[in-house]
Amino acid sequence: MSVGAGASFRSGAVGQVAFRRIERGVLGAAGVAGLVLLWQAAASLSGVPRYFFPSPRDVAGAFTVLLEKGILPAYLADSAGRYLAGIGLGTAIGLALGLALGVSRRAASMFGPLLNFFYAIVEVAWIPIFVIWWGYGLRTILVALVYVVAFPVLFNTQAAVRATPRVLIDAVRALGASPRQVLGEVIFPAALPGIITGFRVGAGFAFRGLIFAEMIAAKNGIGYLILTSAANHATDRTIAGMIVVGTVWLVIDQLYLRPFERVTVERWGVLRHAEE
Amino acid sequence: MRKNSGALGTVPFVALGLAWLLIPMLTKIPPYALPTPGEVIGRLYSGVVDGSLPKDVLASLRRLLLGFCIGNGLAIPLGIAIALNRRVSDLLRPLLTFLASIGGIAWVPLAVVWLGVGSGAVLFVIANQIFFGSIYNTVTGVETIPRVLRRAVLSNGARGTQMLWELIVPGALAQIIVGLRTSMAYGWRALVAAEMIAGTNGIGFRMMEAVKWYQTDTIVLGMIVIGVLWLVLDALLFSRLERATVVRWGLLRETA
Repeated sequence: MSVGAGASFRSGAVGQVAFRRIERGVLGAAGVAGLVLLWQAAASLSGVPRYFFPSPRDVAGAFTVLLEKGILPAYLADSAGRYLAGIGLGTAIGLALGLALGVSRRAASMFGPLLNFFYAIVEVAWIPIFVIWWGYGLRTILVALVYVVAFPVLFNTQAAVRATPRVLIDAVRALGASPRQVLGEVIFPAALPGIITGFRVGAGFAFRGLIFAEMIAAKNGIGYLILTSAANHATDRTIAGMIVVGTVWLVIDQLYLRPFERVTVERWGVLRHAEE
Repeated sequence: MRKNSGALGTVPFVALGLAWLLIPMLTKIPPYALPTPGEVIGRLYSGVVDGSLPKDVLASLRRLLLGFCIGNGLAIPLGIAIALNRRVSDLLRPLLTFLASIGGIAWVPLAVVWLGVGSGAVLFVIANQIFFGSIYNTVTGVETIPRVLRRAVLSNGARGTQMLWELIVPGALAQIIVGLRTSMAYGWRALVAAEMIAGTNGIGFRMMEAVKWYQTDTIVLGMIVIGVLWLVLDALLFSRLERATVVRWGLLRETA
């Protein structure tokens, strides 16, 4: 009997959680639907020219055309390639430098101020000189992305390495671990949550940086689509592009970056420990 | 950690300056691609003397400040209001998350269609960027106040404004300040980017104009000004603000 009571209590709680989740989803969807309806009503009732204020239907139409003509998939692939290459390379560089500066206090105090200064020159500000050096094209975009990702990864890695408990390093060393083992089996795992946080920050800046760089220096990609369409009075395409940008970032952030961070952080229990 | 670097930290700056001086003499990089330090200093001097540089800096800073005040002035009260009611919060949260994820820079072309090239479009972009960045953090801040605290304050008879000022605002403050700071970092980038595409004055505009005429001294000067301004802003505003509030109350976790 007590088992039955426990089970029913538990299923009640589960039911409540499920109900709450459904309620949340329904309300959230209603919010989005409400905005779309309002927007449609405003566009059709105001009589403002379509190029100035396209309705959701116009945007949906533009989206379909972009899909059918294969423009959108092709541009998405262009942007994705640049983005992945940029953050991959930027993370590798930031990680290597961050580990080095985290381990060596001397190097950190030597290069810290210079790095801070260069980080303050945001990647957006580098684009004009890159354009002078390399023209409008892939290299300009790629270097800007590498630049913007490398710094947050570097700083967070450095801080996380520095925060590795000395005791652990000494203990492993006393057990006869080589420097390489210390780095690979103590410092790196201990620093991983920090590295991931830096990666997430960098990936966020890089995504915006990509859109901007494509507006200035590309002949394809989502940023190019948004800008050129607006210049050609195809504002419905511009908005379709913006919605794609928002959706893509949402997917990257919610489906990949946040869970990734949660998993690593939870596994190593660092954040929870710090919160207590 | 990065504070007591002292003299050692100046070494790379000196080395970099020397390299910058020597590279044009030793290599065949065309002069237009890399201005000499002398040219950049000369550009700084002439810009200060004819007043064009301070004018651009002020135009950019004014916009940043205005965008910051408009964005946060709307976002923080609205965010608190949304987060106080669970249903309203459920209704609007996905929408806000989505709009925040579009990001200010993607709005630049639309802003130009609506407001034309110039200050209006730039201001729209930066206020937009800051608003969405900030409101998300405010809502999260209020929602993560432990329910126990809310009940405790309620059962002690606090209502209305007292509840707001003694529980909600202090409870959400750490997250709100994180929001202020992140939104400023994104806002600063959005400002420079928007000025480059849609501006008619300001540092970003001046740099992009210089690209047309291959005036690399102006571009490099602009980059240095942007770097210095950001460091000054960060040191003056945020490090101080954080020390005065979050760190003092022991709420800061060194994550961001």
